[in-house]
This record gives sequence, structure tokens and C-alpha cells, in this order.
Amino acid sequence: MSCSDSHCITCSDEATLMIVTAVLAGALAVCEAGVEVMTDLVGPVNPGDTLLVHAGVAIARVAP
Amino acid sequence: MRFVDEYRDGALGAALAAEIVATVESGRHYKVMEVCGGHTHTIYKYGIDDLLPENVELVHGPGCPVCVIPMGRVDDAIALSGRPEVILTCFGDMMRVPGGSGTLDDAKAQGADVRMVYSPLDALRIARENQEREVVFFAVGFETTAPSTALTLMRAKAERLINFSVYCNHVTIVPPLRALLDSPDLQLDGFIGPGHVSTIIGVRPFAFIPDEYGKPIVISGFEPLDVLQSVQMLLHQLAEGRAEVENQYRRVVPDDGNERALQVLEEVFELRPHFEWRGLGSISQSALKLAAPYADFDAELRFELPGVPVADPKACQCGEVLKGVIKPWQCKVFGTSCTPERPIGTCMVSSEGACAAYYNYGRLARERAAI
Repeated sequence: MSCSDSHCITCSDEATLMIVTAVLAGALAVCEAGVEVMTDLVGPVNPGDTLLVHAGVAIARVAP
Repeated sequence: MRFVDEYRDGALGAALAAEIVATVESGRHYKVMEVCGGHTHTIYKYGIDDLLPENVELVHGPGCPVCVIPMGRVDDAIALSGRPEVILTCFGDMMRVPGGSGTLDDAKAQGADVRMVYSPLDALRIARENQEREVVFFAVGFETTAPSTALTLMRAKAERLINFSVYCNHVTIVPPLRALLDSPDLQLDGFIGPGHVSTIIGVRPFAFIPDEYGKPIVISGFEPLDVLQSVQMLLHQLAEGRAEVENQYRRVVPDDGNERALQVLEEVFELRPHFEWRGLGSISQSALKLAAPYADFDAELRFELPGVPVADPKACQCGEVLKGVIKPWQCKVFGTSCTPERPIGTCMVSSEGACAAYYNYGRLARERAAI
């Protein structure tokens, strides 16, 4: 997940579905590909949860 | 992948397109505006407009956060990056947006320490790792992106990380929509509403569109079937004489938005009295600045910035494109002196900008059709 030369996913207001792989302290989680995500807006998460992530913050939790 | 593959099903798309054809009245022209850059990107990438009847026209509003940043603000970011103590961090597309004195990419090539980040949290990490430097995050984006900046600032404050600051250019979606609806040269039948902004603010802030202007709006997801279904829902409203806010993206968007996100926005930001939008001019209460409790992290207060307004290049018609008055290819410099490699206007920078999206995905098809 990155802002490539041709398409910046953050600037385009896109959000990406990501699965939590580990939970960290301080309302943080690690998702696939090692991306660190703030989870303040969606409450406590667990490994396996699917989140909608934009600019490093989970903006919604997606039902399994 | 679940939530992706089923929204890209070609057979379902063809069925929806057939329903749309059956819904429209022949002889009536429908003009529908999408106001999110992600939708613009989907429309061009998947050829949604080619599936619609000729009398259903999609126009592309000011939903690309990069495209609406005026050149003077870009110049201020470039000036910041020129300070030897500063590491300037920003999202990818902002690196290529031309100001009056080049781009941040140019500044980086000339030695400025400009770093692309995916998240403001990355900028905070850079600040932790470089405490002898000043790390500035060039924040852009609508309500979808602003919570990420807010949460990062809350962390910086809790850590007392004094070498971190934000050059805030966050904007809000409702005021420009109202400005568009008040514009005499724009005749629209309805809107495809921004799905991820609505995840944060909910659907209720859009009620003024049907209530005060009598136009329907459908909040839409970003997969091709989402956008097609939203067009269909909009046309159904028009056929039935209804004007309502409908939510096609219910799998993600709650009617009331994200309460916690709204709280952090309220805590960290306040509305600016005015903000200059590229192509739309000054719009009251349409952008955010850091609230007083976060003033210590405000780059505009920490550093002296030139703050010089810069007029758009005369040849550039981004403003008319952003208002949907002209199509990208009707701009005098589209595809000739303005290309994604050498953009003159911001709409040609980001792939979700209407001009770049059309250039990347639609130009060749149009040229073939002309032949």
C-alpha cells in the first residue's frame, strides 16, 4: 500500500479493506503487509477483523 | 476478495445498465455530478460512462482534494521545504502539484528534504526519529482524511513532540456543494454523494440538497457496480419526482456517521472564516485550521510563510472543469501542453482529477471514435 507515481490512494479519498494481524497498545493495530493502523475510530479490534482503512486510520469496521 | 469481486461482476453491470436505459425518458437530458475523486477514477477506469445512455451525462465536481488547493498554498509548502531545519512530509500527489514556483518534486530535486508518506502517523514517526529537525506534515483532504491528521496531532500532543507541526489544508464538502448549487451557470439534476466522507459525517449533512434545492443525492460506494447502482437510484428518484438523500453504500456508511471521528474533528480543528478553492474562489467556512488547544502544532503560526495568492495560468480551465461547465477535453491545453507528465492544472495531477482520469483511461477511446 503506497502512493505510487500514477495513483495516490490517499489523495483519491479511497479506503482499503485490510485484515488485522496483530493488536498493539495505544489504539494501534498491524494489518496485512505490516501496515500500522490507528483504530481509535472503530473501538477495540482483534486479529482477523476486517477494517476499512484510509490514511492510516480505520474509518469503519466491515462485517465478516 | 469479498466486498470487491461481487461489485465488479460484468453480467450484473450489464443488467443494471439495461435497467438504466429502461428508466430514462427519451428526449430528456440528465446531468449528474459526482463529487468525489474516487468516483471519478472509477467511472473512467471501468468505462461507466460508456454503459450509460447518451442522454445521461456524468460531470465531475470538486471532489479531488489535491485539485482544489490553490497555487499560493503550494508555494507556501515549497517555501517551508526550503528551510534547512524542515523535513516536509506529504501525500504522493501533492509532490507533483504545480505552484507558481514549481512543485515539491522540483524542490526535492534541488535539495529540499521532502518526504512522501502514506499516513500522518508516518510523519509523526519521522519526527520522533529526527528530534533535531522540524517535521511538517502538509495536510490535505476532506472529512475522510482529517480524522487521521487529528488523531496524529492528539498523539503528538500526548507525547509532547515539539518538533512536529501541521500545515493544514483540510477542506469540507458541504460548503462547495452549496456554492455549486448557487452557481447560475450550472444546471444539475442530482448528485452522486461521497461514500467515504459520509462514513465520517453521515448522510444527514446532505439533506439541504433535496430540502432547499429540490435535487436528489445518492451516497455511493466506489466499486463499478456501486456507481452504476447509484446512477440507477438517482434516475429512479427523478422518474418518480422524488428528491431525497439515499444511501447506496449502507455496508459502510451509517446514517449518523462515525461519532468518535466527529468528536476528534471537533476537538482538534475549527472552521476557517474563508478559504480559497482553486476554480471556485473563496468559500466561507469551507476549510479547517487547528483549534486553539493545538495552536503549538500549527505550522502557519510556527513559521513565517509568504502567503502570496497566485492566479491560475490563463490557459488552464480547471475551474470550469471542476464546476462541470466543460469536459476535460474541451480545455484548450488538455493533452497538448497539459499532460500528467507535465501538468499545468491540478486536475491533471492526480489520477482522480477529472483531466488525468480522462487522459489516462479515456483519451485513446475517444480518439478511436473520432477516427
